[in-house]
This record gives sequence, structure tokens and C-alpha cells, in this order.
Amino acid sequence: MAYKIFFYHCYARDARLFGSTPLWLAFRYMSGPLLGSILLLLLSAAPAGALPSETLDEPGLNEVGSGHLLMRDEVSGHSMPAVVQRSKVHFDVSGMIATVRVEQTFRNDTDRYLEGVYVFPLPDDAAVRYLEMQSGDRRIVGVIQEKAEAKKIYQAAKKAGKKASLVEQQRPNLFTNRIANIGPGEEVTVRMDYVQAVEYSNDVFSLRFPMTITPRYMPGTLVSDAEEVEEGETLVVDNYLGWARPTDQVPDANAISPLLHRLTRSDYTPLNPIEITAKLDMGMPLASVESPYHDIALSRRTGVYSISLVSGVSEMDRDFVLNWQPVSGVAPQAAVFTEKVGDEYYALLMVVPPAAKRMAASIPREIIFVVDTSGSMGGVSIEQARSSVSTALGRLRPQDYFNIIEFNSDYRALYRTSMPASRHHIQRAQEFVRLLDASGGTEMLPALRAALPRDKGLYQETAALRQVIFITDGAVGNETELLQELSSNLGDSRLFTVGIGSSPNSWFMRKAAQFGRGTHTHIGDVNGVEQKMAALFEQLARPAAVDFTVDWSAPVDAWPRRIPDLYQGQLLAVVANVGLTLPQGEITVRGRVKGRPWEQHLQLSVGSDAENAGGHPGVASLWARRKIAGLLDEKIAGRDEVAVRAEVLPLALTHQLLSPYTSFVAVEEVISGPAEESIDSKAVPNTAPRGQSPQSYAYPRTATTGPAKVWFGVLCLFVALLVRLLRQPEVDHVPAKSE
Amino acid sequence: MFRLKVNRRYGDVIVLCLLLLGIQQLSSAALIQAKARLAPLLIEKAWEQTLRSGAPAVKPWPWADTWPVGRLRVEALDVDLLVLEGDSGNALAFGPGRALPSAELGSGGTAVIGGHRDTHFAFLQQLRKGHLLQLQLASGESLEYQVQALRIVDASQVQLPVNTAVEALLLITCYPFDALRAGGPLRYVVTVLPKDAKLTI
Repeated sequence: MAYKIFFYHCYARDARLFGSTPLWLAFRYMSGPLLGSILLLLLSAAPAGALPSETLDEPGLNEVGSGHLLMRDEVSGHSMPAVVQRSKVHFDVSGMIATVRVEQTFRNDTDRYLEGVYVFPLPDDAAVRYLEMQSGDRRIVGVIQEKAEAKKIYQAAKKAGKKASLVEQQRPNLFTNRIANIGPGEEVTVRMDYVQAVEYSNDVFSLRFPMTITPRYMPGTLVSDAEEVEEGETLVVDNYLGWARPTDQVPDANAISPLLHRLTRSDYTPLNPIEITAKLDMGMPLASVESPYHDIALSRRTGVYSISLVSGVSEMDRDFVLNWQPVSGVAPQAAVFTEKVGDEYYALLMVVPPAAKRMAASIPREIIFVVDTSGSMGGVSIEQARSSVSTALGRLRPQDYFNIIEFNSDYRALYRTSMPASRHHIQRAQEFVRLLDASGGTEMLPALRAALPRDKGLYQETAALRQVIFITDGAVGNETELLQELSSNLGDSRLFTVGIGSSPNSWFMRKAAQFGRGTHTHIGDVNGVEQKMAALFEQLARPAAVDFTVDWSAPVDAWPRRIPDLYQGQLLAVVANVGLTLPQGEITVRGRVKGRPWEQHLQLSVGSDAENAGGHPGVASLWARRKIAGLLDEKIAGRDEVAVRAEVLPLALTHQLLSPYTSFVAVEEVISGPAEESIDSKAVPNTAPRGQSPQSYAYPRTATTGPAKVWFGVLCLFVALLVRLLRQPEVDHVPAKSE
Repeated sequence: MFRLKVNRRYGDVIVLCLLLLGIQQLSSAALIQAKARLAPLLIEKAWEQTLRSGAPAVKPWPWADTWPVGRLRVEALDVDLLVLEGDSGNALAFGPGRALPSAELGSGGTAVIGGHRDTHFAFLQQLRKGHLLQLQLASGESLEYQVQALRIVDASQVQLPVNTAVEALLLITCYPFDALRAGGPLRYVVTVLPKDAKLTI
């Protein structure tokens, strides 16, 4: 009874507190059963309080496989990877050639000797020509070796307990660095030098430096013996610790699928920090220097520009792009750079053909958009893709035909055949684009085949030009197969690639455009879509300049062998080995621009002496790199691999270049690690590409807050009960007892 | 006897506040359970309609942002669940959901299905190697799968291996099953392969 009396007594005050009688009554009647159920709930909820840490070894879970099958992890308590990495990159740009030094420092945070495996990207035309390893103050210069030979040297060193570094090329833009015997708490630094030609298009010079790898889709079926990665000694060096396993279409899937950090952090607390600096010596006044995805600090001294990051370091989660523009009118329309290496001269020839006029408005075109909507496009990428197509649709002319094909695990076309770009059709297309969402795999080949019909009947007969705009991040592992398809089945179509996202597969995009005889465009930011698509449509609207040849007035080994068609704003670039003497005559570049023959004459610096002529370091490496790329293109186009390898291997060895058939290896002579003992390999994770949908490769969150709420609710009620019980004796004094 | 030396008036307020808070917490926990148990009734209707009409995405209620894409049955454990599209919190409240970046059900790739450990996917702890699962697709087609591996992974260390063309289902829920706190890093992963798969992964 005391219980009731207590509440009656309280009523006078509490009714005021609650403001209304019904509310108070509700509590008065509800609290009874609730208090009664507290004990019941307490009992039932008790097991929920069990500590999670103990349950891992619970005997009931012994059936849970401990194998490292789908996910190669050992449920360790480590929240950070065992081997961490930080980088530094310095660009030294002189004229049209950039010499770049990349420095990767690896630190072992454990108390054991470890091998680190780091998969990293570089620009796809980078001629990597130098490797150096430093541990403490000892520097070891790497040597170029045939791939298998280098692997053998590395493995022997690893086994002997020597520090060693092996850098291999997996794709022209994707490399692996293995570092053996990093001691506990030790740091090992690996430096690489590469040369590349500066991009020049529409009066803008640019450089792009990729820093991470968008997880790639590996089509095909699993190769069944891929599970033999256990402890087999001989196979250890082949285990790249990737998350993907070899398939029949991507036999090296394991080597090109690096693990990513699950976390994402800002530029101020990066997981994989990078320091970026650059020196620009263009020999001409510049109107602007900008970096679209990073904040840079710029200083200028006697015409040489120095660039560094404002924040000092940055997270390696997106491409670094540097664009610079000369003051209008000073950019030369043609230039030759030469270098003498050994006895031979090398020359880099660059010419900007004159702009063509727009096509007559009456010429109809057929434009097919192929949009990647696979899972890797999730996040900012799909937004960029949607915005790109939507912008492009707005630029179609009523006389054009168009269609949209979206693909992920499967492809789907908006219309069965291309439709006129009437207002109605465009509206329907805009709706289709608005609803595009990223999910599923990246089965690119069927979509590509659908966009390039072999059957002429599927064409819009009236369209004069068939242009395919391919919008993707290129995150696939079977690039070669796709390029082969393009090289053999392009027909009369032209393929223009648009690279999307923070970290697109630039090599694939560029090669696809090359085999598709179109151009490639990068869009890394939704804000850039308008401008980039406008530039692309300028290219689509003007006929390409064709039939280029270069007459060197002497026999030379020039690459590319066949000069591609050039679109609005594109640069003609040819690198040649001109032999033991510089050609004395004129160089003549011929082509057809605006449908009419066009030529330009150039003079090699005849008057200058040999020393002066050899003044552009890097040209020889560029030539060798371009020739290797050219030979590998021939392989894609169907030439026998053995023949290609026989040409590429000596070239790469002579010019000290990384290639599919050569690797750099550096071995320290001192034995520092535990000899004759197999050490663990640890993957050095990359950072997730910026803005990529966080759920893309993350596990779902699969716990409700239910148990916690029950627990907390019960706790509250219990404390309430406790407080009331403790107060009860006081209640007994209340006069209302005599009721 | 010990007496609480609190001003009686404040004491009452505290008791009431605690009561209120307790009730609020318990009822929101009850709401979670209620949503998880009642929503399938509506989803069931949507699924029947999907099977009847072949329409790809029938929303169970007009403002839903998810829809059923498959039916998962484990006869041995008397489990019958409708799989929803998406593994965001919104979808998982009503049923297990297919992770969007993973392959679509029955498409031949690896489909990832997540579910709450304390509601729909609580049964995963009873699942053992060799148990058979039936997956009914929107097309009406029924596929037979078999549990191939059970393991615990640290979600903060590894990613979902969704980018492969291996035909499999990964059923994922939080681990440990009876942990109090939500949002822990461990996940319980059940690998399910087609019954006649020759390859083991």
C-alpha cells in the first residue's frame, strides 16, 4: 500500500510538473508493470553483457575455419599495418621533359624481420631508369636484370638475410616494390628516377602523378590451383598479397590488387603521406600554374618556378595534376630536343598542327555514350559520370543520333538503335542518366562490343561519323583483352575515353583512345565537367588532321611508327634514334589538315657543336620507352609475343629501363637479417581513392543498437527502482496513510 | 537504515526522469525488433507481386528505398528471409540486404548479403558447414547453395572481396553475436557456394 500512497502523495506536485492529469496517470499505471519486469529483463539481458574478447576462442566456434582463403587475414589485433610507407616526389621539368624522383620510405613497426610488398602506380609513360636503396647511411644502386633473373637474385638475398629491393612492372602504370629483411623498427628507403614527356594540349602543359589504385575488377573464372600459396618456398616471391585471385582472364590478379586502408583520413593526418615538390624551367614566361586537386605554394626566381604543397604533405588518395600555361603567343609551334648518349643521337620532335575549322552543321554524327556503372564508380565517380553525360547530351545537335549504354555486370542500352537527338529523346535520356547508380562488376568487353557493332546494319546510315564516348574509371584487370578487341574491331567508329574519379587507370584510358583513334580526357572533379566536356565536344566537332609523316632526310628509327590522327589542340610528338650523326638536312612534317595537304619544315641545330646538341637529358630514355610501348602495342595488335620480347628485352637492358621483361633489383652485401629463415611478408596498404563511396568495399554495419538500448533502459529503470526503494521509509511518515 | 538524503522533490524528478529514459530506451529497442519482425509481412507482399509480374523493383511501401531481390531459405534451421536491395542501415532494419557494390543475386559473381546479428542474421551462429540454402530469384528461379566456410574477419583490416567473378554468396553479420556495443570491427562471414561447385574458395 505504501507504494500507492507514495504516488498519491506525489500527485499534487507531479501533476503540476507534468502539466496534465492524464499524463501523470499514464506514468502512474505504466510504472507498476514496468518496475515489475525490471528483474525479468535484468535476468534475460545479462548474457548480453558478456565481454566480446573472450568469445573468440570459445570452443563452440572451433568449426569456424581459420584458413586464409577468401580474405588473407589473420584476425590480428593490430589496427595499423606492420609495414608503413611514406613517399616523396620531386618533378624537375625542363622544356618538354620531366625528370622525376620518387622516394618511398618503409618502416617496420613490429619486433620481427619482415618483407614489405608495396604496389604503387606511376604515370603510364614513365621511363623508370634508376633505382637506389638506402638503409641507414648505406646506399646501394640497383641494377636492371631480366625479370626472372632479378627475382632469383632477390630471393637469394632475402634468404641470406640481406636487405634487398625488387621493383617490377605489372602494368605500364602499376608496379610492385618488395623490400626484404626490414629489421624491427628500421627504415629502408627506395628511390626511383623516371623520365616522361610533358603533356601539351590546347595551350596547356600538364603532368599527372597517380598515387593510389582504384580496386580493379577481375573478370573471368578462377584458376583453380591458385590456392597453393601456403608455405611453398618457391612460390613465396610470387605472392603479392593482393586481395584478388588469378582468373583465366587476369592471371596476375594477385599482383595488381593491393589492399587498401579501411580508414580514410585528411591531408593533415595522412595514412600514406607524400611530399610533393616541383621545379618548372620552361624558358618562357608563364601565365598560370595550377594544381586542380591540391593546394600548392608557388615561388618564382629568374624564370624558374618552384612548387610545393601548402600543407607540406598530402594523403596519397588522388592523382596529383600540375597544369601550366605560357603567356599567350610565346609557346612555340614546333620544337626539336636532342640528346647524345654513347655515340648515338636521339631527337624528340614536337609540332602543333594548325586548328581545323568546325564541320559543316549539316553533317550528322552518331554519338554513343558508354557509361561504367560498376561498383568501383560508387561515390563521387558516378556523380562525375552522370554530370558528364548530362552535359554532353545538352551539346548534341538536333541532326545528331545518339544512344546510351550503361554497363556493370551486364550492359543495358537506352534505345535499341541510335535515336535522333530530338527534345523528347534527350529528355528521356536525361531521366535515364539521372537514375544511373553504381553497383556490380565491370564486364567491359560485352559493352564495348555492343558499342562497336561489327554489323553495318546497326549503324545509322545517314550519320557521317560514329563517335563512341567511353566514360569509366578503367578499374579492370583485363586491359589487354579489351585493347585487342578495339584494335581488331574498331571499324569506322572512333573511341573517345573520359577518365573519371580520383585515381583512374590512365594507361588503359590512353591506350583505348589510341587504339580507338580518338582522344582521352580526364575528369577528376564535378566542377571540371563543364569545361572538359566542352573541350571534348570541340574535338568531336572538328575533323581530325590525318596522314602525318615525318621526313628526317636520313634513315632513322622513329616512334611511334605510324603517327596517329590528331584532334583539336593535340600535339604531334615523335622520338627518334637518329644514329651517329645529327641529320644535316631539313626535317619535314607532312599531313592533311582541313582536308588539304599541310607541311612544316624544321631545322636541327646544325650549327651547334655536339656538346650543345646533347643538352636535353632524358630524350634517349624517352625514345627507348616509346619504342618499348610501340613494340608492346604490336603485340596487342597480334604480333607474336616471343618476337616482341626478343626486341624489347635488349632495348630495356641497354637503356636501363623497367619493362614487362626487366626488373630493377638492389641487394645489400651486408647480412643484417636472420639467415636461412623464412620471414613474413606484409602488404603495405594503399589509401582508398578519395571520394569513393565508403561502402564500396567496406563491410556492412550489421549490429543494431537494440541490445545496448535494452541494457541502458533496464539500467535506468533499475536505478529508478533503487532510488525509490531507498526512499521508501521516509514515505511511511506521510500523514495520508490514514486514508 | 540508510536513507537517501536528497530533497524529496528532486528525488522524485530524478526517479521520473530515469523512468522516462528507461522507457524510451526500451521502447526504441522494442521498435527495432518490431520493425524487423513486422516489415517482412509487407515485403512478402511486394515479393509475391515481383514473382507474379516480373517487375524488377516492387517497393513494399510507397516511401521505401529498398525492395526485395531474393528469398533465402535454410530448411534445416527453419529460416525464411527476404533479401533486400542495399545494405545501408535503412534497408537492414527491415531485412538482410545485398551490398550494392557486390554482384547481383544469381548473376554469377560474388554477392554480399549483410544482416543484423541480433535480428535477421542471428541464425548465422547456428549455421554449420554443409548446411543447404535455397535462394529464390526475382525471376522465380531457385538456386541451391551450400555453406562452405565460416570465418571471422576484422573489417577494419580487410575489404570485401567483391570484385571477383566467383559465383558465391557471402553472408555477413557482426561478431560477436552477443556483444553489447554496435559498430565493432569484427564480422562473421559465411561463405556459401553453389551446391555443385567444383572449385573451393
